[in-house]
Amino acid sequence: MEPNLGTIARSISIRPNREETGLESLQFREEIHRLMIVPPENGSSFTALLELPETQAMELLHSPHSDKGVTVPLSGVPLHGINDDHKSYLPSFNGNLTFPSNKVLIERAAKFSVFASGEHSPETSSVPSDSSANLEKVKSEPADTDSNPNSSQLLVSDPTVNIKNQRSEKRKEREKKGKGCTKKTKIEISQDAEKLPYVHVRARRGQATDSHSLAERARREKINARMKLLQELVPGCSKISGTALVLDEIINHVQSLQRQVELLSMRLASVNPRIDFNLDSLFAPESGSLVDSNFSSMVSPLLWPEIPFNGNRQQHQQQWNFDALHRPLWGREEDSHTFITMENSLLSYDSANSASLHSNQLKMEL
Amino acid sequence: MRSPSSLKQEFLKRWMRGLQRCTSSSKKDMNILERKKVIKLSADLAMASARNGKTSWSRALIANASRDNDNRILAERILGPESDILIKRVSTSVGTVSCNRKIRSKKILKRSCNSVRRVRKGTHLPHQKVLAKSIAKRLVQKRTQILKRLVPGGEFMDELSLIEETLDYITYLQAQVDVMRCIASATELKNRNND
Repeated sequence: MEPNLGTIARSISIRPNREETGLESLQFREEIHRLMIVPPENGSSFTALLELPETQAMELLHSPHSDKGVTVPLSGVPLHGINDDHKSYLPSFNGNLTFPSNKVLIERAAKFSVFASGEHSPETSSVPSDSSANLEKVKSEPADTDSNPNSSQLLVSDPTVNIKNQRSEKRKEREKKGKGCTKKTKIEISQDAEKLPYVHVRARRGQATDSHSLAERARREKINARMKLLQELVPGCSKISGTALVLDEIINHVQSLQRQVELLSMRLASVNPRIDFNLDSLFAPESGSLVDSNFSSMVSPLLWPEIPFNGNRQQHQQQWNFDALHRPLWGREEDSHTFITMENSLLSYDSANSASLHSNQLKMEL
Repeated sequence: MRSPSSLKQEFLKRWMRGLQRCTSSSKKDMNILERKKVIKLSADLAMASARNGKTSWSRALIANASRDNDNRILAERILGPESDILIKRVSTSVGTVSCNRKIRSKKILKRSCNSVRRVRKGTHLPHQKVLAKSIAKRLVQKRTQILKRLVPGGEFMDELSLIEETLDYITYLQAQVDVMRCIASATELKNRNND
Protein backbone atom coordinates (compact mmCIF):
# COMPACT_ATOMS: atom_id res chain seq x y z
CA MET A 1 0.00 0.00 0.00
CA GLU A 2 1.09 3.51 -0.49
CA PRO A 3 2.75 5.23 2.38
CA ASN A 4 0.24 6.48 4.80
CA LEU A 5 0.19 9.49 6.96
CA GLY A 6 2.34 7.89 9.59
CA THR A 7 5.18 7.21 7.26
CA ILE A 8 4.81 10.60 5.77
CA ALA A 9 5.04 12.21 9.12
CA ARG A 10 8.01 10.10 10.03
CA SER A 11 9.63 10.89 6.80
CA ILE A 12 9.14 14.54 7.48
CA SER A 13 11.14 14.31 10.59
CA ILE A 14 13.85 12.43 8.82
CA ARG A 15 14.17 15.10 6.14
CA PRO A 16 13.52 13.21 3.00
CA ASN A 17 12.96 14.71 -0.36
CA ARG A 18 10.51 17.49 0.20
CA GLU A 19 8.63 17.40 -2.94
CA GLU A 20 7.97 13.73 -2.92
CA THR A 21 6.41 13.65 0.44
CA GLY A 22 4.52 16.75 -0.43
CA LEU A 23 3.10 15.08 -3.45
CA GLU A 24 2.29 11.91 -1.64
CA SER A 25 0.55 13.61 1.16
CA LEU A 26 -1.07 15.76 -1.48
CA GLN A 27 -2.68 12.84 -3.00
CA PHE A 28 -3.63 11.31 0.27
CA ARG A 29 -5.24 14.38 1.61
CA GLU A 30 -7.00 15.08 -1.58
CA GLU A 31 -9.11 12.12 -0.82
CA ILE A 32 -10.01 13.11 2.60
CA HIS A 33 -10.27 16.84 2.58
CA ARG A 34 -11.66 19.36 0.29
CA LEU A 35 -9.20 21.58 -1.30
CA MET A 36 -8.62 24.83 0.39
CA ILE A 37 -6.75 27.79 -0.73
CA VAL A 38 -3.77 29.14 0.97
CA PRO A 39 -1.09 31.62 0.24
CA PRO A 40 2.50 30.68 0.35
CA GLU A 41 4.82 31.46 3.10
CA ASN A 42 8.33 32.47 2.61
CA GLY A 43 11.32 32.85 4.71
CA SER A 44 12.38 36.37 5.25
CA SER A 45 14.21 38.67 7.42
CA PHE A 46 11.65 40.67 9.12
CA THR A 47 13.73 41.91 11.91
CA ALA A 48 13.82 45.07 9.90
CA LEU A 49 10.11 45.28 10.26
CA LEU A 50 10.25 45.05 13.96
CA GLU A 51 11.05 48.61 14.61
CA LEU A 52 8.43 49.89 12.29
CA PRO A 53 4.96 50.66 13.46
CA GLU A 54 2.32 48.32 12.34
CA THR A 55 0.94 50.24 9.45
CA GLN A 56 4.31 50.71 7.90
CA ALA A 57 5.05 47.10 8.42
CA MET A 58 1.94 46.15 6.60
CA GLU A 59 2.76 48.43 3.77
CA LEU A 60 6.10 46.85 3.46
CA LEU A 61 4.36 43.59 3.58
CA HIS A 62 2.16 44.26 0.68
CA SER A 63 4.45 46.13 -1.61
CA PRO A 64 6.68 43.23 -2.43
CA HIS A 65 3.57 41.28 -3.05
CA SER A 66 2.36 43.51 -5.75
CA ASP A 67 5.50 42.91 -7.69
CA LYS A 68 5.12 39.25 -7.64
CA GLY A 69 3.52 38.10 -10.74
CA VAL A 70 3.09 34.64 -9.61
CA THR A 71 -0.22 33.38 -10.63
CA VAL A 72 -1.24 30.22 -9.05
CA PRO A 73 -4.04 27.98 -10.16
CA LEU A 74 -7.25 27.96 -8.30
CA SER A 75 -8.36 25.11 -6.24
CA GLY A 76 -10.28 23.57 -9.02
CA VAL A 77 -7.23 22.59 -10.96
CA PRO A 78 -6.68 18.89 -11.32
CA LEU A 79 -3.82 17.26 -9.65
CA HIS A 80 -1.39 17.05 -12.49
CA GLY A 81 -1.82 20.73 -13.11
CA ILE A 82 -1.06 21.33 -9.53
CA ASN A 83 2.08 19.31 -9.71
CA ASP A 84 3.45 21.31 -12.56
CA ASP A 85 2.70 24.55 -10.90
CA HIS A 86 4.04 23.19 -7.74
CA LYS A 87 7.42 22.73 -9.27
CA SER A 88 7.52 26.05 -10.98
CA TYR A 89 6.13 27.82 -8.02
CA LEU A 90 8.63 26.77 -5.51
CA PRO A 91 11.64 28.64 -6.77
CA SER A 92 9.68 31.82 -6.86
CA PHE A 93 9.14 31.57 -3.16
CA ASN A 94 12.60 31.52 -1.99
CA GLY A 95 13.67 34.94 -2.91
CA ASN A 96 10.69 36.77 -1.71
CA LEU A 97 10.47 38.95 1.23
CA THR A 98 7.82 37.74 3.50
CA PHE A 99 7.85 36.21 6.82
CA PRO A 100 7.06 32.73 7.80
CA SER A 101 3.39 32.44 8.18
CA ASN A 102 1.97 31.33 11.32
CA LYS A 103 -1.63 32.02 11.06
CA VAL A 104 -2.28 28.43 11.79
CA LEU A 105 -0.73 28.89 15.16
CA ILE A 106 -3.05 31.69 16.03
CA GLU A 107 -6.07 29.99 14.69
CA ARG A 108 -5.41 26.88 16.55
CA ALA A 109 -4.61 28.74 19.67
CA ALA A 110 -7.84 30.59 19.35
CA LYS A 111 -9.83 27.51 18.71
CA PHE A 112 -8.32 25.12 21.10
CA SER A 113 -8.01 27.12 24.20
CA VAL A 114 -6.42 24.26 26.00
CA PHE A 115 -3.57 24.20 23.64
CA ALA A 116 -3.26 27.89 23.40
CA SER A 117 0.09 28.77 24.70
CA GLY A 118 -0.11 32.52 24.66
CA GLU A 119 -1.13 34.64 27.50
CA HIS A 120 -1.69 37.43 25.11
CA SER A 121 -2.71 37.48 21.55
CA PRO A 122 -0.38 38.80 18.97
CA GLU A 123 -1.44 42.16 17.85
CA THR A 124 -1.85 41.78 14.20
CA SER A 125 -4.67 42.92 12.10
CA SER A 126 -6.23 41.11 9.30
CA VAL A 127 -6.06 42.70 5.95
CA PRO A 128 -7.80 40.81 3.24
CA SER A 129 -5.94 41.15 0.07
CA ASP A 130 -7.23 39.98 -3.19
CA SER A 131 -4.20 40.01 -5.29
CA SER A 132 -3.61 36.92 -7.20
CA ALA A 133 -0.06 36.93 -6.08
CA ASN A 134 1.25 35.72 -2.79
CA LEU A 135 -1.03 36.69 -0.03
CA GLU A 136 0.38 37.44 3.25
CA LYS A 137 -2.17 38.34 5.76
CA VAL A 138 -1.49 39.76 9.05
CA LYS A 139 -4.40 38.67 11.05
CA SER A 140 -5.55 39.81 14.39
CA GLU A 141 -6.13 37.19 16.90
CA PRO A 142 -9.83 37.15 17.27
CA ALA A 143 -11.72 35.96 20.24
CA ASP A 144 -12.22 32.28 20.39
CA THR A 145 -15.75 32.51 19.19
CA ASP A 146 -14.81 34.71 16.30
CA SER A 147 -12.04 32.64 14.99
CA ASN A 148 -14.18 30.17 13.17
CA PRO A 149 -16.38 32.50 11.16
CA ASN A 150 -13.40 34.69 10.59
CA SER A 151 -11.30 31.98 9.19
CA SER A 152 -14.05 30.63 7.04
CA GLN A 153 -14.65 34.10 5.72
CA LEU A 154 -11.09 34.64 4.86
CA LEU A 155 -10.99 31.27 3.30
CA VAL A 156 -13.77 32.08 0.98
CA SER A 157 -12.51 35.47 0.05
CA ASP A 158 -9.07 34.26 -0.59
CA PRO A 159 -8.34 33.55 -4.17
CA THR A 160 -5.57 31.50 -5.46
CA VAL A 161 -2.69 29.69 -4.10
CA ASN A 162 -2.66 26.04 -4.00
CA ILE A 163 -2.56 24.67 -0.57
CA LYS A 164 -0.46 21.76 -1.49
CA ASN A 165 2.33 23.93 -2.70
CA GLN A 166 2.08 25.43 0.66
CA ARG A 167 2.51 22.24 2.47
CA SER A 168 5.71 21.23 0.88
CA GLU A 169 6.95 24.75 1.12
CA LYS A 170 6.16 24.82 4.76
CA ARG A 171 8.05 21.65 5.25
CA LYS A 172 11.08 23.38 3.92
CA GLU A 173 10.44 26.22 6.23
CA ARG A 174 10.10 23.86 9.06
CA GLU A 175 13.53 22.53 8.58
CA LYS A 176 14.94 26.00 8.53
CA LYS A 177 13.31 26.89 11.74
CA GLY A 178 15.60 26.14 14.56
CA LYS A 179 15.96 27.14 18.08
CA GLY A 180 17.81 30.12 16.81
CA CYS A 181 14.90 31.77 15.14
CA THR A 182 14.28 35.30 16.11
CA LYS A 183 12.58 35.55 19.37
CA LYS A 184 10.52 38.25 20.95
CA THR A 185 8.74 39.07 17.78
CA LYS A 186 5.11 39.35 17.08
CA ILE A 187 3.69 36.51 15.22
CA GLU A 188 2.81 37.32 11.69
CA ILE A 189 0.30 35.09 10.25
CA SER A 190 -0.68 34.51 6.73
CA GLN A 191 -3.86 33.21 5.40
CA ASP A 192 -3.69 29.57 5.93
CA ALA A 193 -6.65 27.62 6.92
CA GLU A 194 -5.74 24.09 6.38
CA LYS A 195 -4.35 21.34 8.31
CA LEU A 196 -0.62 21.28 8.09
CA PRO A 197 1.55 18.52 9.18
CA TYR A 198 3.57 21.08 11.05
CA VAL A 199 3.63 24.75 11.57
CA HIS A 200 6.36 27.25 11.67
CA VAL A 201 6.69 28.24 15.24
CA ARG A 202 7.81 31.54 16.53
CA ALA A 203 8.08 32.70 20.01
CA ARG A 204 5.44 35.12 21.01
CA ARG A 205 6.11 38.31 22.69
CA GLY A 206 7.00 37.88 26.27
CA GLN A 207 6.95 34.13 26.14
CA ALA A 208 9.59 31.75 27.21
CA THR A 209 12.00 31.24 24.42
CA ASP A 210 14.14 28.42 25.62
CA SER A 211 14.42 25.36 23.56
CA HIS A 212 12.12 23.31 25.70
CA SER A 213 9.15 25.55 25.36
CA LEU A 214 9.80 25.98 21.69
CA ALA A 215 9.80 22.28 21.24
CA GLU A 216 6.69 22.05 23.30
CA ARG A 217 4.99 24.63 21.21
CA ALA A 218 6.04 22.95 18.02
CA ARG A 219 4.71 19.71 19.28
CA ARG A 220 1.45 21.27 20.24
CA GLU A 221 1.08 22.82 16.87
CA LYS A 222 1.67 19.51 15.23
CA ILE A 223 -1.00 18.01 17.37
CA ASN A 224 -3.40 20.75 16.47
CA ALA A 225 -2.74 20.27 12.80
CA ARG A 226 -3.52 16.60 13.07
CA MET A 227 -6.62 17.32 15.07
CA LYS A 228 -7.81 19.47 12.27
CA LEU A 229 -7.37 16.61 9.89
CA LEU A 230 -9.36 14.40 12.16
CA GLN A 231 -12.04 17.00 12.40
CA GLU A 232 -12.46 17.00 8.70
CA LEU A 233 -12.62 13.26 8.57
CA VAL A 234 -15.25 12.80 11.18
CA PRO A 235 -18.56 14.15 9.94
CA GLY A 236 -19.99 16.99 11.86
CA CYS A 237 -16.85 17.79 13.68
CA SER A 238 -15.67 20.82 11.84
CA LYS A 239 -18.04 23.15 13.54
CA ILE A 240 -17.01 22.17 16.99
CA SER A 241 -14.35 24.16 18.68
CA GLY A 242 -12.40 22.92 21.59
CA THR A 243 -10.28 19.88 21.78
CA ALA A 244 -12.28 18.00 24.36
CA LEU A 245 -15.49 18.15 22.37
CA VAL A 246 -13.75 17.22 19.18
CA LEU A 247 -12.18 14.25 20.87
CA ASP A 248 -15.59 13.33 22.14
CA GLU A 249 -16.97 13.28 18.65
CA ILE A 250 -14.08 11.26 17.40
CA ILE A 251 -14.51 8.71 20.11
CA ASN A 252 -18.19 8.43 19.38
CA HIS A 253 -17.51 7.97 15.73
CA VAL A 254 -14.93 5.26 16.28
CA GLN A 255 -17.21 3.45 18.67
CA SER A 256 -20.13 3.60 16.31
CA LEU A 257 -18.02 2.31 13.46
CA GLN A 258 -16.79 -0.57 15.54
CA ARG A 259 -20.31 -1.41 16.59
CA GLN A 260 -21.40 -1.33 12.98
CA VAL A 261 -18.68 -3.74 12.07
CA GLU A 262 -19.86 -6.10 14.77
CA LEU A 263 -23.44 -5.91 13.62
CA LEU A 264 -22.55 -6.39 10.01
CA SER A 265 -20.40 -9.39 10.69
CA MET A 266 -23.26 -10.86 12.68
CA ARG A 267 -25.55 -10.19 9.78
CA LEU A 268 -23.22 -11.82 7.36
CA ALA A 269 -22.83 -14.81 9.60
CA SER A 270 -26.56 -15.28 9.85
CA VAL A 271 -27.14 -14.93 6.17
CA ASN A 272 -24.90 -17.76 5.15
CA PRO A 273 -25.12 -21.26 6.45
CA ARG A 274 -21.54 -21.69 5.49
CA ILE A 275 -19.15 -18.91 4.98
CA ASP A 276 -18.98 -18.79 1.29
CA PHE A 277 -19.44 -15.51 -0.36
CA ASN A 278 -19.73 -16.41 -3.90
CA LEU A 279 -19.43 -13.00 -5.34
CA ASP A 280 -20.06 -13.81 -8.91
CA SER A 281 -23.20 -15.67 -8.19
CA LEU A 282 -24.33 -12.72 -6.20
CA PHE A 283 -24.23 -10.43 -9.12
CA ALA A 284 -24.71 -12.47 -12.20
CA PRO A 285 -28.30 -12.98 -13.04
CA GLU A 286 -29.65 -10.98 -10.21
CA SER A 287 -28.28 -7.77 -11.51
CA GLY A 288 -31.61 -6.76 -12.87
CA SER A 289 -33.20 -7.01 -9.50
CA LEU A 290 -30.68 -4.96 -7.71
CA VAL A 291 -32.44 -1.80 -6.94
CA ASP A 292 -29.95 -0.47 -4.57
CA SER A 293 -28.00 1.60 -6.96
CA ASN A 294 -25.51 2.77 -4.45
CA PHE A 295 -24.66 -0.72 -3.62
CA SER A 296 -24.22 -1.77 -7.17
CA SER A 297 -22.05 1.15 -8.03
CA MET A 298 -19.79 0.44 -5.18
CA VAL A 299 -19.70 -3.24 -5.64
CA SER A 300 -19.09 -3.40 -9.33
CA PRO A 301 -15.64 -1.95 -9.16
CA LEU A 302 -15.00 -4.06 -6.12
CA LEU A 303 -15.96 -7.07 -8.07
CA TRP A 304 -13.24 -6.78 -10.56
CA PRO A 305 -10.30 -7.93 -8.53
CA GLU A 306 -12.46 -10.63 -7.09
CA ILE A 307 -12.90 -12.76 -10.07
CA PRO A 308 -9.61 -14.54 -9.95
CA PHE A 309 -10.02 -15.12 -6.26
CA ASN A 310 -13.31 -16.79 -6.06
CA GLY A 311 -12.92 -19.58 -3.65
CA ASN A 312 -15.59 -21.98 -4.63
CA ARG A 313 -14.19 -22.51 -8.00
CA GLN A 314 -11.48 -24.89 -8.73
CA GLN A 315 -10.01 -22.81 -11.44
CA HIS A 316 -8.46 -19.79 -9.94
CA GLN A 317 -6.66 -19.00 -13.05
CA GLN A 318 -9.71 -17.88 -14.86
CA GLN A 319 -8.59 -14.85 -16.63
CA TRP A 320 -11.88 -13.43 -17.44
CA ASN A 321 -12.20 -10.58 -19.68
CA PHE A 322 -13.52 -8.20 -17.16
CA ASP A 323 -14.51 -5.54 -19.53
CA ALA A 324 -16.55 -7.77 -21.68
CA LEU A 325 -18.01 -9.50 -18.72
CA HIS A 326 -19.11 -6.67 -16.64
CA ARG A 327 -20.04 -4.23 -19.23
CA PRO A 328 -23.02 -6.22 -20.29
CA LEU A 329 -23.76 -7.09 -16.75
CA TRP A 330 -24.08 -3.60 -15.63
CA GLY A 331 -25.11 -2.22 -18.90
CA ARG A 332 -28.70 -2.39 -17.87
CA GLU A 333 -28.14 0.41 -15.49
CA GLU A 334 -28.20 3.86 -16.77
CA ASP A 335 -24.92 5.39 -17.53
CA SER A 336 -26.21 8.50 -16.04
CA HIS A 337 -25.56 7.15 -12.64
CA THR A 338 -23.07 9.64 -11.51
CA PHE A 339 -21.87 7.70 -8.59
CA ILE A 340 -20.66 5.01 -10.87
CA THR A 341 -18.23 7.37 -12.43
CA MET A 342 -16.88 7.95 -9.01
CA GLU A 343 -15.39 4.51 -8.91
CA ASN A 344 -14.56 5.19 -12.30
CA SER A 345 -11.63 4.74 -14.39
CA LEU A 346 -11.88 0.98 -14.23
CA LEU A 347 -15.33 0.89 -15.63
CA SER A 348 -16.46 1.71 -19.07
CA TYR A 349 -20.04 0.96 -19.58
CA ASP A 350 -21.67 -0.09 -22.74
CA SER A 351 -25.35 0.26 -22.97
CA ALA A 352 -25.59 -2.13 -25.84
CA ASN A 353 -24.85 -5.55 -24.65
CA SER A 354 -25.72 -9.08 -24.89
CA ALA A 355 -26.41 -9.59 -21.29
CA SER A 356 -27.83 -13.03 -21.56
CA LEU A 357 -24.83 -14.49 -23.25
CA HIS A 358 -22.49 -13.31 -20.59
CA SER A 359 -24.64 -14.17 -17.67
CA ASN A 360 -24.81 -17.67 -19.02
CA GLN A 361 -21.12 -17.69 -19.13
CA LEU A 362 -21.09 -16.71 -15.53
CA LYS A 363 -23.48 -19.42 -14.57
CA MET A 364 -21.26 -21.91 -16.21
CA GLU A 365 -18.42 -20.83 -14.15
CA LEU A 366 -20.35 -21.13 -10.94
CA MET B 1 -2.07 7.08 -2.81
CA ARG B 2 -4.66 5.46 -0.69
CA SER B 3 -7.89 6.25 -2.38
CA PRO B 4 -10.95 4.88 -0.66
CA SER B 5 -11.98 2.78 -3.63
CA SER B 6 -8.64 1.08 -3.99
CA LEU B 7 -8.61 0.57 -0.28
CA LYS B 8 -11.95 -1.17 -0.46
CA GLN B 9 -10.86 -3.30 -3.35
CA GLU B 10 -7.77 -4.39 -1.58
CA PHE B 11 -9.68 -5.12 1.55
CA LEU B 12 -12.32 -7.13 -0.24
CA LYS B 13 -9.73 -9.14 -2.06
CA ARG B 14 -7.85 -10.09 1.03
CA TRP B 15 -10.92 -10.72 3.03
CA MET B 16 -12.37 -13.13 0.53
CA ARG B 17 -9.09 -14.89 0.22
CA GLY B 18 -8.80 -15.24 3.93
CA LEU B 19 -12.32 -16.55 4.25
CA GLN B 20 -11.74 -19.11 1.57
CA ARG B 21 -8.63 -20.34 3.16
CA CYS B 22 -10.43 -20.63 6.42
CA THR B 23 -13.51 -22.42 5.26
CA SER B 24 -11.75 -24.74 2.91
CA SER B 25 -9.85 -26.30 5.73
CA SER B 26 -12.59 -26.64 8.29
CA LYS B 27 -15.07 -29.28 7.33
CA LYS B 28 -17.60 -29.01 10.05
CA ASP B 29 -20.31 -26.44 10.24
CA MET B 30 -19.84 -23.66 12.66
CA ASN B 31 -22.52 -22.05 14.66
CA ILE B 32 -23.38 -18.48 14.18
CA LEU B 33 -21.06 -17.10 16.76
CA GLU B 34 -18.10 -18.89 15.35
CA ARG B 35 -18.96 -17.71 11.95
CA LYS B 36 -19.23 -14.18 13.10
CA LYS B 37 -15.94 -14.45 14.79
CA VAL B 38 -14.32 -15.84 11.70
CA ILE B 39 -15.81 -13.19 9.54
CA LYS B 40 -14.73 -10.39 11.79
CA LEU B 41 -11.32 -11.82 12.32
CA SER B 42 -10.67 -12.32 8.68
CA ALA B 43 -11.86 -8.83 7.94
CA ASP B 44 -9.58 -7.36 10.56
CA LEU B 45 -6.63 -9.34 9.44
CA ALA B 46 -7.28 -8.58 5.83
CA MET B 47 -7.09 -4.92 6.48
CA ALA B 48 -4.19 -5.22 8.79
CA SER B 49 -2.18 -7.18 6.32
CA ALA B 50 -3.06 -4.71 3.64
CA ARG B 51 -1.31 -2.08 5.65
CA ASN B 52 1.66 -4.34 5.74
CA GLY B 53 2.75 -3.43 9.14
CA LYS B 54 3.16 0.23 8.50
CA THR B 55 0.68 1.43 11.00
CA SER B 56 0.68 0.60 14.61
CA TRP B 57 -2.91 -0.45 14.89
CA SER B 58 -2.51 -3.04 12.20
CA ARG B 59 0.43 -4.51 13.98
CA ALA B 60 -1.45 -4.54 17.21
CA LEU B 61 -4.39 -6.28 15.58
CA ILE B 62 -2.23 -9.00 14.20
CA ALA B 63 -0.36 -9.33 17.44
CA ASN B 64 -3.56 -9.64 19.40
CA ALA B 65 -4.91 -12.17 17.00
CA SER B 66 -1.88 -14.36 17.18
CA ARG B 67 -1.61 -14.13 20.89
CA ASP B 68 -4.41 -16.39 22.08
CA ASN B 69 -3.74 -19.87 20.95
CA ASP B 70 -7.15 -20.74 19.68
CA ASN B 71 -7.21 -17.72 17.44
CA ARG B 72 -3.68 -18.18 16.35
CA ILE B 73 -4.24 -21.12 14.11
CA LEU B 74 -7.20 -19.43 12.54
CA ALA B 75 -5.27 -16.26 12.06
CA GLU B 76 -2.36 -18.01 10.50
CA ARG B 77 -4.59 -19.81 8.15
CA ILE B 78 -6.36 -16.65 7.17
CA LEU B 79 -3.23 -14.75 6.59
CA GLY B 80 -2.10 -17.44 4.31
CA PRO B 81 1.33 -18.28 3.13
CA GLU B 82 2.87 -14.96 4.00
CA SER B 83 1.69 -15.20 7.56
CA ASP B 84 5.03 -16.19 9.01
CA ILE B 85 6.76 -13.21 7.54
CA LEU B 86 4.03 -10.93 8.69
CA ILE B 87 3.89 -12.28 12.20
CA LYS B 88 7.62 -12.13 12.50
CA ARG B 89 7.60 -8.55 11.39
CA VAL B 90 4.86 -7.77 13.81
CA SER B 91 6.63 -9.35 16.73
CA THR B 92 9.78 -7.44 15.99
CA SER B 93 7.85 -4.24 15.88
CA VAL B 94 6.13 -5.12 19.11
CA GLY B 95 9.56 -5.01 20.59
CA THR B 96 9.72 -1.40 19.60
CA VAL B 97 6.62 -0.83 21.63
CA SER B 98 8.58 -1.38 24.78
CA CYS B 99 11.17 1.03 23.46
CA ASN B 100 8.38 3.49 22.90
CA ARG B 101 7.42 3.06 26.47
CA LYS B 102 10.90 3.97 27.60
CA ILE B 103 10.94 6.94 25.36
CA ARG B 104 7.56 7.91 26.61
CA SER B 105 8.60 7.84 30.22
CA LYS B 106 11.50 10.07 29.38
CA LYS B 107 9.15 12.44 27.70
CA ILE B 108 6.93 12.44 30.72
CA LEU B 109 9.86 13.40 32.88
CA LYS B 110 10.81 16.16 30.54
CA ARG B 111 7.29 17.41 30.37
CA SER B 112 6.93 17.49 34.12
CA CYS B 113 10.04 19.64 34.37
CA ASN B 114 8.64 21.99 31.80
CA SER B 115 5.32 22.26 33.54
CA VAL B 116 7.04 23.12 36.77
CA ARG B 117 8.91 25.86 35.02
CA ARG B 118 5.81 27.10 33.33
CA VAL B 119 3.81 27.15 36.52
CA ARG B 120 6.28 29.51 38.02
CA LYS B 121 5.99 31.84 35.10
CA GLY B 122 2.29 31.54 34.78
CA THR B 123 1.38 32.50 38.29
CA HIS B 124 0.37 35.93 37.19
CA LEU B 125 -2.68 34.59 35.45
CA PRO B 126 -6.02 35.21 37.04
CA HIS B 127 -7.28 32.29 38.96
CA GLN B 128 -10.26 31.51 36.81
CA LYS B 129 -8.17 31.16 33.73
CA VAL B 130 -5.82 28.78 35.39
CA LEU B 131 -8.67 26.77 36.73
CA ALA B 132 -10.42 26.61 33.42
CA LYS B 133 -7.25 25.59 31.70
CA SER B 134 -6.55 22.83 34.10
CA ILE B 135 -10.08 21.54 33.84
CA ALA B 136 -9.92 21.56 30.10
CA LYS B 137 -6.60 19.80 30.21
CA ARG B 138 -7.99 17.13 32.43
CA LEU B 139 -10.94 16.61 30.14
CA VAL B 140 -8.68 16.25 27.17
CA GLN B 141 -6.51 13.81 29.02
CA LYS B 142 -9.48 11.70 29.92
CA ARG B 143 -10.64 11.66 26.36
CA THR B 144 -7.26 10.66 25.10
CA GLN B 145 -7.25 7.80 27.54
CA ILE B 146 -10.51 6.57 26.15
CA LEU B 147 -9.30 6.94 22.61
CA LYS B 148 -6.20 5.02 23.46
CA ARG B 149 -8.29 2.17 24.65
CA LEU B 150 -10.38 2.21 21.52
CA VAL B 151 -7.70 2.22 18.91
CA PRO B 152 -5.87 -1.09 18.95
CA GLY B 153 -2.31 -0.73 20.03
CA GLY B 154 -2.86 2.78 21.13
CA GLU B 155 -1.96 2.56 24.76
CA PHE B 156 1.70 3.11 24.33
CA MET B 157 1.72 5.95 21.94
CA ASP B 158 2.18 9.59 22.49
CA GLU B 159 -0.51 12.02 21.45
CA LEU B 160 0.84 12.85 18.06
CA SER B 161 1.10 9.31 16.82
CA LEU B 162 -2.15 8.49 18.48
CA ILE B 163 -3.92 11.04 16.37
CA GLU B 164 -2.29 9.74 13.23
CA GLU B 165 -3.23 6.22 14.08
CA THR B 166 -6.78 7.27 14.74
CA LEU B 167 -6.94 8.90 11.34
CA ASP B 168 -5.81 5.78 9.66
CA TYR B 169 -7.98 3.57 11.76
CA ILE B 170 -11.07 5.59 11.03
CA THR B 171 -10.53 5.36 7.30
CA TYR B 172 -10.05 1.65 7.63
CA LEU B 173 -13.18 1.20 9.69
CA GLN B 174 -15.19 3.22 7.24
CA ALA B 175 -13.99 1.15 4.32
CA GLN B 176 -14.69 -2.04 6.18
CA VAL B 177 -18.20 -0.99 7.07
CA ASP B 178 -18.99 -0.01 3.51
CA VAL B 179 -17.74 -3.20 2.01
CA MET B 180 -19.43 -5.41 4.54
CA ARG B 181 -22.68 -3.61 4.14
CA CYS B 182 -22.55 -4.12 0.41
CA ILE B 183 -21.87 -7.78 0.67
CA ALA B 184 -24.49 -8.26 3.30
CA SER B 185 -27.22 -6.56 1.32
CA ALA B 186 -26.17 -8.40 -1.81
CA THR B 187 -26.38 -11.79 -0.18
CA GLU B 188 -29.65 -10.98 1.45
CA LEU B 189 -31.06 -9.79 -1.80
CA LYS B 190 -29.88 -12.87 -3.53
CA ASN B 191 -31.35 -15.13 -0.91
CA ARG B 192 -34.61 -13.30 -1.11
CA ASN B 193 -34.68 -13.71 -4.84
CA ASN B 194 -33.86 -17.34 -4.67
CA ASP B 195 -36.69 -18.11 -2.31
